[in-house]
Amino acid sequence: MKPAPFQYVAAKSVDDAIALLSKYGADAKLIAGGQSLVPMMNFRLARPEWLIDINRIDGLAGITQQNGMLRIGSLTRYSELEASEAVQRGVPLLRQMLPHIAHEAIRNRGTIGGSICHADPAAEMPVAMLALDATFELRGPSGARRVAADDFFLGQMTTGIEADEVLVAIKIPETKNDERHGFSEFARRRGDFALASAAVVLRFNGGMISDHVRIAVGGLSERAERARKAEALLAGKTLTPTLIEEAAHTASGEVQAGQDLHATEAYRRSLIATQVKQALAVAADRTSSTGAKK
Amino acid sequence: MSELKQHDVAFTVNGKAETLSVSPRTSLADALRDTLGLTGTHIGCEHGVCGACTVLLDGKPVRSCLLFAVQAEGAAITTIEGIGDAQSPHPLQRAFNECHGLHCGFCTPGMIVTLSAFLKEHPQPTSADVREAISGNLCMCTGYQNIVRSALRAAELIEGAKP
Amino acid sequence: MSVKTTVSDTGPWVGQPLPRREDARLTAGAGTFTDDIRMPGMLHAAFLRSPHAHARIVKINAEKARALKGVHAVITGEDVERLTKPISTIIPFKMFLPNYCLAVDKARYVGEPVAAIAAVDRATAEDAAELIEVEYEPLPAVVDPWEAIEQPPSLVFDEIKSNVIWHDTFSYGEVDDAFARAAHVVSDRFSVQRYISTALETMGVIGKWDSSGLTLWSGDQRPGFATHALTTALQIPHSQIRLVSPDIGGGFGNKRKATYMVIVALLARAADRPVKYLEDRQENLLGLVHASNQVMDLEMALDADGKILGLKLRDVVDEGSNVINPTLHSMLKFTNMLNNYTIPAVRFEGYAVLTNKCHSGANRGIGKPFMCFVIERAVEMAAKKVGIGSLELRRRNFIPASAMPYESPMGNVYDSGDFLATLDTALKTANYDDLLKQQEEARRAGRYFGIGIATAVEPNSLNLSAYTLMTGRTDTSGVGEGALVRMEGDGSVRVSLGNTASGQGYETVVAQIVADELGIHPHRVTVAPGFDSAVNPWLHCSGSFANKFSGTDVGAIIEAARTIRGKILRIAAHLTGRKAEELTIREAAIWVHGANEPLLPLAKVAMTAYRDLLRLPEGEMPGLEARHFYVDPQSNLPAMSKDDKRLRFQLTFSNSAHIAVTEVNPDTGAVKIHRYVIAHDCGREINPMLVEGMVHGATTHGIGGALYEDLIYDKNGQMLAGSFMDYLKPTALDVPEFEVVALETPSPFTPLGAKGVGEGGSIPSLAAITNSVEDALKPLGVTLTELPLTPNKIWDAIQKARGEEKRA
Repeated sequence: MKPAPFQYVAAKSVDDAIALLSKYGADAKLIAGGQSLVPMMNFRLARPEWLIDINRIDGLAGITQQNGMLRIGSLTRYSELEASEAVQRGVPLLRQMLPHIAHEAIRNRGTIGGSICHADPAAEMPVAMLALDATFELRGPSGARRVAADDFFLGQMTTGIEADEVLVAIKIPETKNDERHGFSEFARRRGDFALASAAVVLRFNGGMISDHVRIAVGGLSERAERARKAEALLAGKTLTPTLIEEAAHTASGEVQAGQDLHATEAYRRSLIATQVKQALAVAADRTSSTGAKK
Repeated sequence: MSELKQHDVAFTVNGKAETLSVSPRTSLADALRDTLGLTGTHIGCEHGVCGACTVLLDGKPVRSCLLFAVQAEGAAITTIEGIGDAQSPHPLQRAFNECHGLHCGFCTPGMIVTLSAFLKEHPQPTSADVREAISGNLCMCTGYQNIVRSALRAAELIEGAKP
Repeated sequence: MSVKTTVSDTGPWVGQPLPRREDARLTAGAGTFTDDIRMPGMLHAAFLRSPHAHARIVKINAEKARALKGVHAVITGEDVERLTKPISTIIPFKMFLPNYCLAVDKARYVGEPVAAIAAVDRATAEDAAELIEVEYEPLPAVVDPWEAIEQPPSLVFDEIKSNVIWHDTFSYGEVDDAFARAAHVVSDRFSVQRYISTALETMGVIGKWDSSGLTLWSGDQRPGFATHALTTALQIPHSQIRLVSPDIGGGFGNKRKATYMVIVALLARAADRPVKYLEDRQENLLGLVHASNQVMDLEMALDADGKILGLKLRDVVDEGSNVINPTLHSMLKFTNMLNNYTIPAVRFEGYAVLTNKCHSGANRGIGKPFMCFVIERAVEMAAKKVGIGSLELRRRNFIPASAMPYESPMGNVYDSGDFLATLDTALKTANYDDLLKQQEEARRAGRYFGIGIATAVEPNSLNLSAYTLMTGRTDTSGVGEGALVRMEGDGSVRVSLGNTASGQGYETVVAQIVADELGIHPHRVTVAPGFDSAVNPWLHCSGSFANKFSGTDVGAIIEAARTIRGKILRIAAHLTGRKAEELTIREAAIWVHGANEPLLPLAKVAMTAYRDLLRLPEGEMPGLEARHFYVDPQSNLPAMSKDDKRLRFQLTFSNSAHIAVTEVNPDTGAVKIHRYVIAHDCGREINPMLVEGMVHGATTHGIGGALYEDLIYDKNGQMLAGSFMDYLKPTALDVPEFEVVALETPSPFTPLGAKGVGEGGSIPSLAAITNSVEDALKPLGVTLTELPLTPNKIWDAIQKARGEEKRA
């Protein structure tokens, strides 16, 4: 199980990476942590002719706080996010999702940017990005642009990034004091890709849910997506067990859910409901409004 | 197919500086085993699930089957051969023997490498902590129980050896 | 925990939890596994494997592959047909079967090797495989075993003219009478999926030719079997084939693969270089071997008191493309179908069926996990029907300890064991009454909390005379093993075995056994790691299978050691002018019985045997080496009468009782194992620490089979679980902390009273988990008959039960 032949080049800078992508086009592939790409290459399911390594680019990893936002370099590894106090304090929902991602040895290599660009519908990161209103900084030959997570995940492992663009950073608004959130995932074994997962963020206005409601669902057939009807259902209401049931039911009915080896469609829809319900229950349970406590 | 460019790569393995000429598609696992003869790093799946090929990269456990050797430029790599040997065993190696933490021994290097980093961070783990730590390493023989026991025993041995 | 953890400084060594000798090299990463062996000029092989479940091979063009730089040899079915004979089969087919090491006429499963390449490295060999152009003519795939029998879409082997490779009925006792007298009859259909042990080291072979013939290095666990297949296929004298087994990274029955050896031998000959082939994990899952998926229809007759009167069984084993050694699952299942109960009448109708799937073969406990699943599920169902508890039903039907040795209607002789005591020990360890209270509380709180019990026999060794009853073959019988013990001139000892270790710790336990026999410290006994057919003693049946070590292998080891012991005493007697009967050996010295001082050092006697040739007793051959080939005295031949199908199929019987405590999440169908209690009895334990390790490992295999693992095929015969992302093995977070208690009822039939333990845990665990999950869902009235219990399947069952509840 060895990869098909390829040429290797280590990009020295983001500009260098963009230039290499422009030069080799569809024959090239960026490698960050490689924890999804290399297995696919070993199975010869991915066969780039040129592998452009961005691991040596200075400044592409790291976490900074600016203006109520967390800016996370795309090359930041999961283990660095796990260890980051800024993440723990600023975006606790993200912190809570990290241990669900594979296992420690994978998290020591895997990067946030890699997972976002790989856009596996069963992975945790796209779900988190949707729930957290993340924005992605992309750079290409004609400069930089920003794309909201909502506009980024297009389909089965396809995203809004162009072939000659590099994801440079992820910007996530820091959790507000009036926010509650929750995450829940069901996988066959701990560390496996989710059969269904849900991340919710609810902003409150007094005792009522404001119109900032995010319910993101993963483990689906094509892409992580938001359950917008369920979101609308919650806006402006008080979070009660009955409402949670209703929202979960609505969410499971509105998203696309396929079947695979481990789950029929009916079962997967039921799991989506269970996970949305659980995530909302966690959000409802939080005594601290930021939910920073475990 | 065009001729593939070989790359020179320099890193240290178990404290020793090495310079290798590798094909881009040579995994770190294959380079360690085939080029450097360090066959203690085992290959069990080549898709990052089984953990047999785990080595330390700058002190942290990684899958050497999911890293191309050329990417390890400048890194400090530790393999099972650098953890200890029969003459001067690491406490984990002693504990695995005492507690029967292995049968066929194929997963053992990956387990011990993973646990060596874990025990540094968690000197007094519970058995639940240990199970979590080795949950990315498959063992087909032991049912894990004696591996957990071995890790807890190693923590004791390390603690006991402290001045 | 019952394990003895302290080791004394003196013997007897058998029974002590001695830490293992092999660990020093294995924990240091200094073992030598097949893939660790390197040779000058060695090439690496890759196989092109069929993407079709069933397809005629019209044409293969390998020119581009041959032309690729770095490629030294390419072979296809054409070469194989010209250069080899088909691999020999256990069933003596009258017709010619094109069962070669590569697909010749057609490919019969996804993953069947179609061509093989030897190149400078594995990556180049895989590049070359992609350049081979194969024109396939796809044929309808035979996937469902029932369909394979009744309405076959095609024939897997056209030559056989049927997909049913074996069909027979074995009847013992008055079955019809039993059912006529029955107050209750329980019937249901049960099924088990394909799963496999997936040793962490995949299967590999290195082949090299020189003037002495062919040498192979491989982790094969049945060397006698393998080399025999090779001599037939390659048509070279057996004496020119040498097989060396280095360290083996797990076997579990799976590591037997003559076809890989023949391919590697052909590549090495074509390239005139040593060639190494190592499966990658995908190849391992697609094509090494699978335990069969099986379906059994059971009818159980009981009297009004819940005494089991008889069984009627109809069983289908999906052998995949296995024509080499089919019927193994059938035989090992039905001959043990009593489990641990006195069932006087059993009729078993069995089918072994060919399909377009990977060939079936041996896997830890082969056939018996499903035997136990069916019986222990039926016992639960019967208890409900009779209206007594299932524990009580078991108690009423256990073979009583007072009946030992007990001859089963099939002719098996259960040597020893107190099944009631084993069950009671498990119940006591689990605090069963407390568990019931916990369950009551949990149920009141709306939780789904289950307690599942399964009891099992664990049969040991395998009398190969069984093949006569299964296939009519009359050239194989009994079971045995070889051992060589050599005391060197300094009194230290070296032992070589016919068996190959793959994690069992033979280097340690054999040293314990021999140390006791020869009165020395185990550190003075070196057991050769691995196996070398040019040096080690071995028989056709040699190797690691059927739990045979503790009885059969130990017999060979002890007999060889005792031969040496006798000779030492004769020489010592001669040197000291005493009678041999007056003398004994202990602490590496010769003693007169009861004396306070040793007579002379053992080394003195040993040196005499090697050097002082003229001072040996008259007629005594120099040297202290004994090679013993042991025939297990329990094995027998079938009766001469055709109607009498009784045989001592398996030779001794360990036993166990498992209690699984689980909780089911009714929303997700997920199962959490809260506790897992095991009481087991494998007779006298040679090394209790190793015994308990085996129990943990084997039970984990069963948990994998019960809850996670499924080598699932779609309706076109594509295997869907070709990686460890989709073929799910239990991790450290998925298995509980086992609570193990051992009983030790020595076997009267084995030299040390020891019995097998390697398979035990894998046998009752499927049933214990399923009984537990069904018990957890008792408030919903769910019945579980199909494995594996995936969350999806459990959820489906819950929906079905809830739907029925609503309709009612």
